Amino acid sequence: MATERTILLEINDLTVRVAGKEILKGVNLKVNAGEVHAIMGPNGSGKSTLAQVLAGREDYEVTSGSVSFEGRDLLALPAEERARAGLFLGFQYPVEIPGVNNVYLLKAALNAKRKAAGEPEVDAYDFLALIKQKMKFMQMSEAFLTRGVNEGFSGGEKKRNEVLQMLVLEPKLAILDETDSGLDIDALKVVSKGVNSLRDPKRAVVLVTHYQRLLDYVIPDQVHVLTGGRIVKSGDKSLAQELERRGYDWVLESRVA
Amino acid sequence: MSAARQTSSASAAVRSFEAQWQARAADALRPVREQAMQRFLKLGLPSQRDETWRYTDLRALASQSFVDAQHEALGDVQPDAVQSLLDGAPRAATLLMVNGFPSLQPQQAAIDGMEIQSIREMSVRDPAVLLRFLAPASDADQRRWVLLNTALFRDGLYLKITRPLTAPLLILHVATGDGANAVAHPRVIIDACPGSSATIIEHHVAQGAHAPLINSNTHIALARDARLEHYRVFATTAAATHIDSVDIQQDQSSHCKQFTVVLGGGLVRATLEANLRQPGASLDSYSLLVGHENRHVDCVNIVTHGAPRTRSRQTARAIASDHSRVIFNSKVIVNAGAINADSQQSCRGLLLSPTAEIDTRPQLEIHADEVKCAHGATTGRLDPDMLFYMLSRGLDRATAQSLLVYAFLADVLTGMSVTAARSAIENALISQLPDAQLLRKFR
Repeated sequence: MATERTILLEINDLTVRVAGKEILKGVNLKVNAGEVHAIMGPNGSGKSTLAQVLAGREDYEVTSGSVSFEGRDLLALPAEERARAGLFLGFQYPVEIPGVNNVYLLKAALNAKRKAAGEPEVDAYDFLALIKQKMKFMQMSEAFLTRGVNEGFSGGEKKRNEVLQMLVLEPKLAILDETDSGLDIDALKVVSKGVNSLRDPKRAVVLVTHYQRLLDYVIPDQVHVLTGGRIVKSGDKSLAQELERRGYDWVLESRVA
Repeated sequence: MSAARQTSSASAAVRSFEAQWQARAADALRPVREQAMQRFLKLGLPSQRDETWRYTDLRALASQSFVDAQHEALGDVQPDAVQSLLDGAPRAATLLMVNGFPSLQPQQAAIDGMEIQSIREMSVRDPAVLLRFLAPASDADQRRWVLLNTALFRDGLYLKITRPLTAPLLILHVATGDGANAVAHPRVIIDACPGSSATIIEHHVAQGAHAPLINSNTHIALARDARLEHYRVFATTAAATHIDSVDIQQDQSSHCKQFTVVLGGGLVRATLEANLRQPGASLDSYSLLVGHENRHVDCVNIVTHGAPRTRSRQTARAIASDHSRVIFNSKVIVNAGAINADSQQSCRGLLLSPTAEIDTRPQLEIHADEVKCAHGATTGRLDPDMLFYMLSRGLDRATAQSLLVYAFLADVLTGMSVTAARSAIENALISQLPDAQLLRKFR
């Protein structure tokens, strides 16, 4: 039925230490273009560590394993080159950067990506038109244009801003780290709409989430349970519903049995 | 006689200052100058044992002998030194002070809303007015060089602001190092009448082959409801030693916004002493201290709340790169009876190299109840989380770092209401930072 899908991201036996402590203990994951994956798991299971390592956080030490992104060795690239190659991390806690304008950052980010692809810099007026259109789609106030990066934003506004950045940068692979947490139902719908608009046979999305409710709006192709630094169970979207009903302990118990 | 005994053991610098004093012709200000000089000789140069001088070593300076800087003719000042912070922007006037001597054109005495006079001429015509601003205030160690300035200044500027002025006034101080070991003692008095307002920018530059010593003082008196935005910008050469103090006396409901910007100078010591002596007086002090190469920047703020409902805000941003050292010490004193005083001290330091050093010490001394005083000081490197966030969006490291440095300065820069001055200061600041080319793109 389906045409053969290209592998976008392939993680093999990845182990990672943070501040001397082993957090990821052999993670395996394969994400094809066109797919949406959800990684679920209890607090402290290593979900955010995985997201940050993939984005290139330097103080996280990869002790073994490999990650390839479109066939390239992802771990050999610094964070900025990963971004330019089409990887995007939506942060769980987007940092506030007072004094650095939101729009400026986004324009610099887009131009860095275009430059790496051999394209000319974006025209200032075209860029403003683009960003206004995406902001409208994300139901964001125009006050955002003049503010510092995430400066004084509420939790929900920060998450919308992450999705806005994603929509402008159009990554091949978006990793969204608990982008749904702290959102009320209306904001959750807007964020989901943003994520769904990026769904495309050439792109993939990895949703790192605690709860199943985001997955009512963004239907995943695969769901994985990450706990104790390993992916212990994978399945389709029904796995998320089962987790919601039975809790994470059930996975651990069923695994032992 | 005690002064004589002091002299025998005094440093070469102090002996040379005393020789200058002996050579001065008496003027109408003699009694107050005499008092200041005797106090200076008794106390001597400050040393690192003195509280506000802990971080600055003057021993090398003390071993030198200084001579009076020359009274240059206007034509001897090279035009390139007469650079203006305001560029072509409108201004009330540009006043030139060379080695502490004002060069006043006849028409400059007649700016609407402001009287401009040479201190020397005033000391002949109207010494009583001057004496109000010259009496030595105290023997505190941060005032040691002010005593010397009072004794030895040869001329200066007296500015009386009588009405609200809109255009800024620029004072360009030029120190000319034409001969070795020259010292100048520039003096400026700003006398703001009730209800007046003005913006005054003092810009210090240096030129010439030799390294000058500059010991400058600006006295600001704000009468009831007067408003002043005052800038002092230090852009002297790497070899120059500049010791400056600004004294601010504030009456009822007056407001002073003061910017101290250190862009240059081998050793810059910038003191601010403010006395909020009547109810409702309010001060906003901003300091932008940039150290690079192996320069030394020592900034001391002492703000006294002497009356009820007085308000002060101190915002300092220090950046040190290469082998430089930047010091910011601020102290707020709330006198007994100054109820409902409201003060905040905020100092942030940014270290751009492992060999640079920043020292900050916010202090509070409270003798009254019902006050609101807050202080905070942090020093660190660029925030790694902010850096990672920008890298993860594809910005290269140099751009991301430069953006963060620029953002760090923004708090102070955005407070400047004179756009032309702000942009010139921004420009000069940026040239001293790593990745200057990149930073310029953000402006």
